[in-house]
Amino acid sequence: MSTQFPWLTTVTLLPLVASLLIPVLPDKQGKTVRWYALTVGLPNFALMIYVFWQNYDFSSPDFQMNESFSWIPQLGLNWSLAVDGLSMPLVVLSGLVTTLSILASWKVTKKPRLFYFLILVLYSAQIGVFCAQDLLLFFFMWELELVPVYVLISVWGGPKRLYAATKFILYTAIGSIFILVAALAMAFYGDNVTFDMRELALKDYSLTFELLMYAALLIAYGVKLPIFPLHTWLPDAHGEASAPVSMILAGVLLKMGGYALIRMNVEMLPDANFYFAPMLAVLGVVNIVYGALVSFAQRNLKRRLAYSSISHMGFVLLGVASYTEVGFSGAVLQMVSHGLIAAALFFLAGVTYDRTHTLAMDKMGGLAKSMPVVFALFTAGSMASLALPGMSGFASEIMVFLGMTSSDSYTSTFKVVTVLLSAIGVILTPIYLLSMLREVFYGKQNPALAEELAEEYGQTGDFWDAKPREVFITACLLIPVIGVGLYPKLLTQTYDVKTVQVATRARTVVSTIAQQPLQSLPQVSVAPQLPRASASELLGIVK
Amino acid sequence: MQELLLEASWLIPLYGLVGAVLTLPWSTGYIRRTGPRPAAYFNLLMTIAALVHGAIAFRASLSLAPDPIVIHWFKAADLDLSFALDISPVSLGAAELVTGLSILAQFFSLGYMEKDWALARFFALMGFFEGAMTGLALSDSLFLSYALLEMLTLSTYLLVGFWYAQPLVVTAARDAFLTKRVGDVLLLMGVVALATLSGTLNFQELYDWAETATLTPTVSTLLGLALISGPIGKCAQFPLHMWLDEAMEGPNPASILRNSVVVACGAYILIKLQPILILSPTASIALVVLGTMTAIGASLVAIAQIDIKRALSHSTSAYLGIVFIAVGMQWTNVALMVLFAHAIAKALLFMSTGSIIVTTSTQDITEMGGLWSRMPATTTAFVTGASGLIGLLPLGGFWSMREGINAFWYDDVWLVGVLLIVNALTAFNLTRVFRLVFLGSPKVKTRRAPEVPWTMAVPMVSLTIITLLVPAILNRLYLLPDWAYMNQSAVVLLMLSGLIGFLAGALARFSGVWTRSVQMPFKFLQDMLAYDFYVDQLYRVTVIWLVNLVSQFSAWFDRYIVDGVVNLVGLASIFSGESLKYSVSGQSQLYLLTILLGVSFLGVWLTYPMWNALLNY
Repeated sequence: MSTQFPWLTTVTLLPLVASLLIPVLPDKQGKTVRWYALTVGLPNFALMIYVFWQNYDFSSPDFQMNESFSWIPQLGLNWSLAVDGLSMPLVVLSGLVTTLSILASWKVTKKPRLFYFLILVLYSAQIGVFCAQDLLLFFFMWELELVPVYVLISVWGGPKRLYAATKFILYTAIGSIFILVAALAMAFYGDNVTFDMRELALKDYSLTFELLMYAALLIAYGVKLPIFPLHTWLPDAHGEASAPVSMILAGVLLKMGGYALIRMNVEMLPDANFYFAPMLAVLGVVNIVYGALVSFAQRNLKRRLAYSSISHMGFVLLGVASYTEVGFSGAVLQMVSHGLIAAALFFLAGVTYDRTHTLAMDKMGGLAKSMPVVFALFTAGSMASLALPGMSGFASEIMVFLGMTSSDSYTSTFKVVTVLLSAIGVILTPIYLLSMLREVFYGKQNPALAEELAEEYGQTGDFWDAKPREVFITACLLIPVIGVGLYPKLLTQTYDVKTVQVATRARTVVSTIAQQPLQSLPQVSVAPQLPRASASELLGIVK
Repeated sequence: MQELLLEASWLIPLYGLVGAVLTLPWSTGYIRRTGPRPAAYFNLLMTIAALVHGAIAFRASLSLAPDPIVIHWFKAADLDLSFALDISPVSLGAAELVTGLSILAQFFSLGYMEKDWALARFFALMGFFEGAMTGLALSDSLFLSYALLEMLTLSTYLLVGFWYAQPLVVTAARDAFLTKRVGDVLLLMGVVALATLSGTLNFQELYDWAETATLTPTVSTLLGLALISGPIGKCAQFPLHMWLDEAMEGPNPASILRNSVVVACGAYILIKLQPILILSPTASIALVVLGTMTAIGASLVAIAQIDIKRALSHSTSAYLGIVFIAVGMQWTNVALMVLFAHAIAKALLFMSTGSIIVTTSTQDITEMGGLWSRMPATTTAFVTGASGLIGLLPLGGFWSMREGINAFWYDDVWLVGVLLIVNALTAFNLTRVFRLVFLGSPKVKTRRAPEVPWTMAVPMVSLTIITLLVPAILNRLYLLPDWAYMNQSAVVLLMLSGLIGFLAGALARFSGVWTRSVQMPFKFLQDMLAYDFYVDQLYRVTVIWLVNLVSQFSAWFDRYIVDGVVNLVGLASIFSGESLKYSVSGQSQLYLLTILLGVSFLGVWLTYPMWNALLNY
């Protein structure tokens, strides 16, 4: 299609191709393979940055760097990749988090070849999901990412790893059936049979069909995001997976749900989106409050962080439901910011686990004395997570709040109730995070833990503090968090034109629907005015 | 030169932050050879730079009017969030007060924290604290102010949790953060609402908007209450007052700042918000009511404390209560004056307290006595601070209180009563503490009590002098009224209330009070005040209990209902698979029968309409 070099294909396939060499790599001690994985991951990340820097036009809301090759013409399957403002930040995020998780798994001694092979496959699959422009290809990448995660949890996980891994695969596989069904239905709707997402978005579906498709896709992405009540795989999977896998799970995989929700439900099915938007807002609030409440009752460090992820992903839903530029922008920012923060927190939980060999908070306590650096980093991560100003979590959450309150698609009572309830969630966040810090780090050390460690692992003496490698990984995640928190434009202006376009299109559709009101119109919705942002203003956002 | 420095006033908050960053090599343990001292010196140097810069800018601001500094932070569609700085004599003066007290507190902590292994970390936090506070003083945007209030919450959390291995610190730091956070998040809701309603968050534009805004009563009430809840948490007002008392577990030099300028920062925001609060009469009434409750309640509670720092910290709440009343009554100049006088006097009292603690290694006033002859500088500081706080004629407390009485005299006379009661109770409390700590015969811990080293004595004596000079400063700023126009009866009443408190404190017998009283009513009263009206316990059995309960319930619900259904489905499929496997027996006649039954069933189902027709035929 284009004459330039297929950069996106290269970035997507490089880890996959490189992973094929791992079985034949000479590696007696099991130490070469991790260097190999790093020398694949890091250059790929660098290449990604370079390619976007050179070829990506930040002022255009359209798909860019289109690459399309016919793959299986009988099926109509095309290898077609492109990025836009919605996917570009997430591609970079997955590159960063996966590369760091390779570095985080430096101490993996059990079957290192298989481990790094799977991580590299996962690397490709994630980028593939965010770049795919063909619905079948998207589905293929979506499925490709499940298998490595399943194996990574079931081989390297904690004591209940098999249960967790099975639950994960069943949940997501059942969810992805809905994607396949919806993809086929949408492709064969009308005269034009196509899997191309751009063409699918242009099709004019009947309302009933749209509503059905929307519901099917919402279930699929609701499992991934996750949305209450489809979330119960998450605490098990995150709690049982080893730290590097949890980093990818929380850092990137959850964002696939949010990304696909905006890409397909909002962009392709705008009419249905109008009817579902109030429900999304309600589900978002439920996620925020419910996740925070359940998190507070967890006694396992990683399960607490897992439920906190559920709580934070609620803001993505709320932002998507707000129908405003600020809200959409906040939703994307929240995805990136939570990806960084959650990865950092899960990594630090893994660092703590390396020392204590337990995740039960009842057994910990007073760790700050022997590991002050870990304590400082954990505090910084928690502050970022509880949306302290100056950290990216605050920027994204306030944008979602502003989007929700300034939205003219809802009655003011609905807005006030939504915002107040999510504010309760924001108050609950420090409660569970600070209690976590208190129980793990403050106070006196628990002598029972030291005895147990000496007995079971022969580990004596103090816990050792963070090593430079561990500090480096956390810093790589937290420095962008602070940077974006201090000046959100750094990130938002790379994708703002796109979110403005999404919001504008969603609102245009709504205003045409609202002119012919239906009986089934949700009571909380009101007809918004026509989009406020004109074309000149859109371009004014990016200089 | 002057003009340049005035234009560059935005640098003032950055000095503290740069100081904090400069300490990093020492606080992370990268440089060990020199010990942590250089970090402290760097920080002091930066603060002195901030003070000098601020002083020059302050002088210049009296004659020049610079352009406001606006930094665009975030812009989307029609919403523009920008950071604006207000360069005016008032804001620069407030920043000067902060940096001045910060220098003294840092100097003081050179001595106080001398033997602490984490001195560098402490100074980093102090620099951060100072930077956030000066930023708050200069901020002219509600959004920036909110962000900086949260920074203060963070630094309070870190400073209170400084000695993280101590048992009481564990909960104190968390409680400080949580209580302030509740107020902050409610304030954030107000900020978000204001941004949506007015489209701006800069104070000047908000004032313009508030003059013409028409809101429904519900909206304005909600907005007003949300806006005042941030300062309520920050200034330790009822019902978010518990944290200040607990925060006394932190290092004393931080308490100096916390009790003087940090709480004042919250009130400063409140004063800045006052023109917007006019929109909601309910919020103003709430300010007066909560202020009154805190002022009198905290003054009473202070009397029953035996921890020297807590006895003083409750009186901080009380004075901030007066500020709240003043703002609620729309007398912002009274509020500012009370804040100023209180900040200096209270800082001095806490410095003197720090000296006592470092010398005697105890905070329990029942274990002290007879220190006056052993620690003359400390004693002088305490007496001066106490006189500066209560309405004693030439000093700052008197002038601010008099201003308050004057203001309330014609509006609401009962508020004058509140002021007089607070004044009397504070005088009583300070006299009581003074008698127990400095007078009487020396006890075990106060027998060998030398005066503190010069690093602590110098800032203490300097602040003593500054406290004595407060009337002169007020005079320079033309804040003192002419003698001829003074309300004579107000002066007499104020002096009288102080005198009554002083006499009661001086004459009461305390020896019997501290041993547990056998008279039930008295014992009950003493306990009730000592335990802060049992508000702590009340919270424990209401709010905390409720949150715990709901959270436990949701966890149960999640585990056994939401996840239970999932596991049930899994179990059912395993069970049905297991039971179906018994049908696979290997006997071909059984398979044939199954097929036959299936086919005939299908046949019946497909031809059902025909059967129906046949039957009805």
